[in-house]
Amino acid sequence: MKSEFIENRFHVTRRHFLGKLGLGFGSVALGSLLMPDLFSGKEELGQTVGLPHFAPKAKRIIYLFQNGAPSQLESFDYKPLLTKMAGEELPASIRMGQRLTGMTSGQKKFPLVGSHFKFQQYGKSGAWVSEMFPNIAKVVDDICIIKSMHTEAINHDPALTFMQTGAQQGNRPSMGAWLSYGLGSENKNLPAYCVLLSRGRGNGQGVYSKLWTNGFLDSIHQGVQFSSSEERVLYLKDPQGRDRKDTRKMLDNLAQLNDMNYKEFGDPEIQTRIQQYEMAYRMQTAVPELTDLTHEPDNIIKMYGADCLSPGTYAANCLLARKLSEAGVRFVQLYHQGWDQHGNIVGEMPLQAQDVDRATAALIMDLKQRGLLDETLVIWGGEFGRTNYCQGDLSKDNYGRDHHPRCYTIWMAGGGVKPGMVYGESDEFGYNIVRDPVHVNDFHATVLHLMGLHHEQLNFKHLGRRYRLTDVAGKVVNGILV
Amino acid sequence: MQKIKSILLNLIFFIQVLLIFLLLFDDRIELPVWLQVAGRLHPALLHLPIGLLVFLIVLLLARNEFKKKAFNKIMLIVLLLTSFTATVTALFGFFLSRQGDYGPDALTQHKISGTLLSLLCYGLVLAFIRKEKYSTLFYGLGLLTVGFMFFAGHTGGTLTHGENYVFAPLSNSPNNAVADADASVFQMAVFPILEKKCFTCHNEKKAKGKFVMTSVAKFKKGGKHGKEWEEGMPEKSRMIKYIHLPLEDDDHMPPDGKPQLSTQEMKMLESWIRAGADFEKKLTDLKDDDSLKIIATAVAASKNNHIEEKQYGFTAAPEEVVRKLNTPFRSVFPLSQKSPALQADFFIKESFESGALEELKEVRDQLVVLNLSKMPVIDKDLLVIGSFKNLEKINLNFSKINGAGLSSLQGLKNLNSLSLAGTDITSESLKPVMVLPALKELFVWNTGITEEQRAKLEAQHPGITVRTSQFKEDKTLRLSRPLMVNEGVVKKGEPVVIKHSMPGVTIRYTLDGSNPDSVVSKMYDAPLKLLVSTKIKAMACKSGWYCSEVFETACFVEGQRPVHVELLTTPDKQYRGEGAKSLTDGRKGFTDVFKEPSWLGYSDQPLAAGFDFGQNPSAIRTIMISYGRSIGSYIFPPMVVEVWGGRNRNDLRLIKSLNVEQPVKDEPQRIEALSIPLEKVNHSYYKLIVKPVDKLPKWHSGKGKKGWVMIDEVFFY
Repeated sequence: MKSEFIENRFHVTRRHFLGKLGLGFGSVALGSLLMPDLFSGKEELGQTVGLPHFAPKAKRIIYLFQNGAPSQLESFDYKPLLTKMAGEELPASIRMGQRLTGMTSGQKKFPLVGSHFKFQQYGKSGAWVSEMFPNIAKVVDDICIIKSMHTEAINHDPALTFMQTGAQQGNRPSMGAWLSYGLGSENKNLPAYCVLLSRGRGNGQGVYSKLWTNGFLDSIHQGVQFSSSEERVLYLKDPQGRDRKDTRKMLDNLAQLNDMNYKEFGDPEIQTRIQQYEMAYRMQTAVPELTDLTHEPDNIIKMYGADCLSPGTYAANCLLARKLSEAGVRFVQLYHQGWDQHGNIVGEMPLQAQDVDRATAALIMDLKQRGLLDETLVIWGGEFGRTNYCQGDLSKDNYGRDHHPRCYTIWMAGGGVKPGMVYGESDEFGYNIVRDPVHVNDFHATVLHLMGLHHEQLNFKHLGRRYRLTDVAGKVVNGILV
Repeated sequence: MQKIKSILLNLIFFIQVLLIFLLLFDDRIELPVWLQVAGRLHPALLHLPIGLLVFLIVLLLARNEFKKKAFNKIMLIVLLLTSFTATVTALFGFFLSRQGDYGPDALTQHKISGTLLSLLCYGLVLAFIRKEKYSTLFYGLGLLTVGFMFFAGHTGGTLTHGENYVFAPLSNSPNNAVADADASVFQMAVFPILEKKCFTCHNEKKAKGKFVMTSVAKFKKGGKHGKEWEEGMPEKSRMIKYIHLPLEDDDHMPPDGKPQLSTQEMKMLESWIRAGADFEKKLTDLKDDDSLKIIATAVAASKNNHIEEKQYGFTAAPEEVVRKLNTPFRSVFPLSQKSPALQADFFIKESFESGALEELKEVRDQLVVLNLSKMPVIDKDLLVIGSFKNLEKINLNFSKINGAGLSSLQGLKNLNSLSLAGTDITSESLKPVMVLPALKELFVWNTGITEEQRAKLEAQHPGITVRTSQFKEDKTLRLSRPLMVNEGVVKKGEPVVIKHSMPGVTIRYTLDGSNPDSVVSKMYDAPLKLLVSTKIKAMACKSGWYCSEVFETACFVEGQRPVHVELLTTPDKQYRGEGAKSLTDGRKGFTDVFKEPSWLGYSDQPLAAGFDFGQNPSAIRTIMISYGRSIGSYIFPPMVVEVWGGRNRNDLRLIKSLNVEQPVKDEPQRIEALSIPLEKVNHSYYKLIVKPVDKLPKWHSGKGKKGWVMIDEVFFY
């Protein structure tokens, strides 16, 4: 039986249909009068990029990435219970079915193990810091320790990629690229996003250029990797037999040719190319000024440790990071490798800490004494945490820890983050989070917020949908904001 | 009747489409002033559809009292009117939503429910006309409509009266979510409004209309006409009257062009005056149903939810002007998309001219942050900086000022942060800036200012933090090692440069493999000239520091080139390099990447290679093999090296066999040179056999497994 409803009630004649249609479109037309930029011919971006959405707390970021995942249990998350229960089996009620990596899945026992290193409370905040980080302990009232980070990945590459790009697969723009895209560059003589690598003495994990990729954003937003050698930006010097005047002349003529091409094809990438040549030319002046350490006062060298004079060390990178940041580079990304202590924590971790501790604290103090800490966000941390049980053989004086995504510790300083604060809490076993969890997406949302960007509004249309750094999740962690 | 019905129906349809369109493009709509008036009618209009809906229900209940035909006509009229007024109300409501400061969550709920309500009313009319009179569908729709009426009404009420306005008196639990027990109503909800919207003109310095609001005593006293309010009577209070004057009126406050009060803020001020303009009363002193408490709580809550954009008393500079001020060496940009305030940064000191500072006068009012770090700014330039009267933050770190011109900054009433690190200022020269009313932080690290002077400055000016370095450590530290600048293979006689980045260090070195001594070893004063590959050991010393650890490197110098090189055994397939060519191409490998054309790797069998020096060979005294060591990765020094010599490949005899010293523990990765001295005989052809370690030692994690040898170059001297 045919539906009477369809027969009659929706019965519409052509005249009626067209009449209604006209009325509807008329209405839309009237409404469109209220949108001043509707027919301006500008491409609809849904947003303007190049400036913060609201006045930012932080203008620049220095991200001290501790690659390989330093153990939270030997650094900032003090768990005396683990020492008490050393050797006992991890209770199933705590593990709650957490998956294991291939490295411990064959292990029959999961004996708990406490920190070999002593902890003490420091500063007005009374935060616990391990004896391996005596200098960071001195600036503990300037930093905000987040003990409740958690991630989804359990192996280095996906976890690292997640931390840096907001996705585990490695096809998205990294954080620095998003910021360069959203905020533009402050100093036109330097790239907005710089990457510095160093290697510690512990078990290392690789870093790859996909971590500082521009993904689907314009290639201008890609991170520029600085070399670890004496010459920190390669191929910047004029070649032998050609001076700057010749270079200028060559660039002028090249620009004319490129401009002719641009007039013919109208491809905006040509203009980008001309600008990039110009920037490289200006970098010839800007970069030597940055890498010249001979004008740094003696006590700066002392503060960072003499290692800061050897290019390619973490200390040298920290000093360079400060100089780059001071010169208006939006995002300076450091990676320090060697934190993957599956075994030999007692032997390796102090070496890693030694590399990092002094220079990190120096960076905080240096920014502060220049009046830059309040506008520079410093982030320190790895890609996940480490297990509270021992990997491999637990001996009296040594042990190792496997990857642990459920709970780990990072810290931030400056740039609108509450100083002298400890946020979030893990359980007595240091295994699960009991208060204020911060997911990687939340971390990204918060960082963008500090830089004056709504994480939901900073997006880019690609393959038919809009992408964000936080993709479809993320909440600003208001509790750590000033 | 039919005509009116058709016109009304079309009109409703028209507005419905318009409404949906407007909602879809909400954030791109800019409202002309006359439509704002329409928006303000929303609170009046909204009573019509509510009344009509109630009337509709009454009609339906009294259905039997009417004749059927007449009843249908009445129903139609009422339905049409309901739908029409609901639609118009929704549209006007949208206009209103674009004007006020409303909490985003409640606003979204109200918008959606209001729009749905108007759509439902329209549906009701359509159902009625399309022969669905009094059917289940009709009544269903009707019920839904009434439901939405309550919901929309409720959310609307929340917007104007605050959360839980209706039921607040019933609930017993005191609502302390935002109420700070210690804060007075004035502090919590009135003062922030005044601070945000009034203080720019009504402060000690400016005192427009002789009315100062920044101190409670002066605020109470009033302006040139005397007291600004009558306790309990907002309608008779001058302050409130002025707020309500039309914007065009000269007496309207805040003046046209300044940030205006929101409806909520006006209400707050009125309620506070109505309640007696009490400065002490705490929120907790008020009853929960006190309207003052309700609105004050709402004001405080909205303050917490919003990202507050700082308000400025000036308007933005034209985009064109700002754009023109941008050069590669000077960036000028707004603090945010909506902010009129500007920041200016200067870069590259070689390109700095005072003129560039002068040019910023075009945006003198808008400039709030000025960064001249490391620029050769002199004291005279401070005169120009002093004319940017809205500056809040200046960075003059490592500039060329000595402080004599700091008095030029005296007019900067908003300056709260001044950085002078690394300049030649003195404690004395800081005097004029220490009295700036807004100054909070002063950075004087790395200047001549002593710790005592710093402490004295802070003591004399309690509101100002004077910062120097917090780094205090007397421990003597070890210097870093010196470096060799040359990379790869050095040509014979090419200067070899050793360097240390710290000014004033002495570098001492040896070339014989012995450890350098900080006193007796040769001092480095000019680049070295080397004839053969040499092991350089060097250390850096400076007074006040411990001497560095020894820097050790092999400097490879170009040797004699064979005519032909051949590999007699095949390298492992992962490390094939470029075959025989890799051994004499003059290219050095890196220690961290072995899968690379410089390196040849062997594990299962020894490396065997032939080097042909042609018919008239010159004497070769040393063969040097450059090999990689990466103990953790099983890459060890060779175990045994054999050198064979003769006239050609088939006529050779063993002339040297060497056991190489093996490591006894893990060590850092490096490239090492193995030097093999030879008898002085002119052979045409040399064969090298390099055997990898066959069993890794016991202490190694790979004990018992085969080791690797990695060779990147062989030199003949």
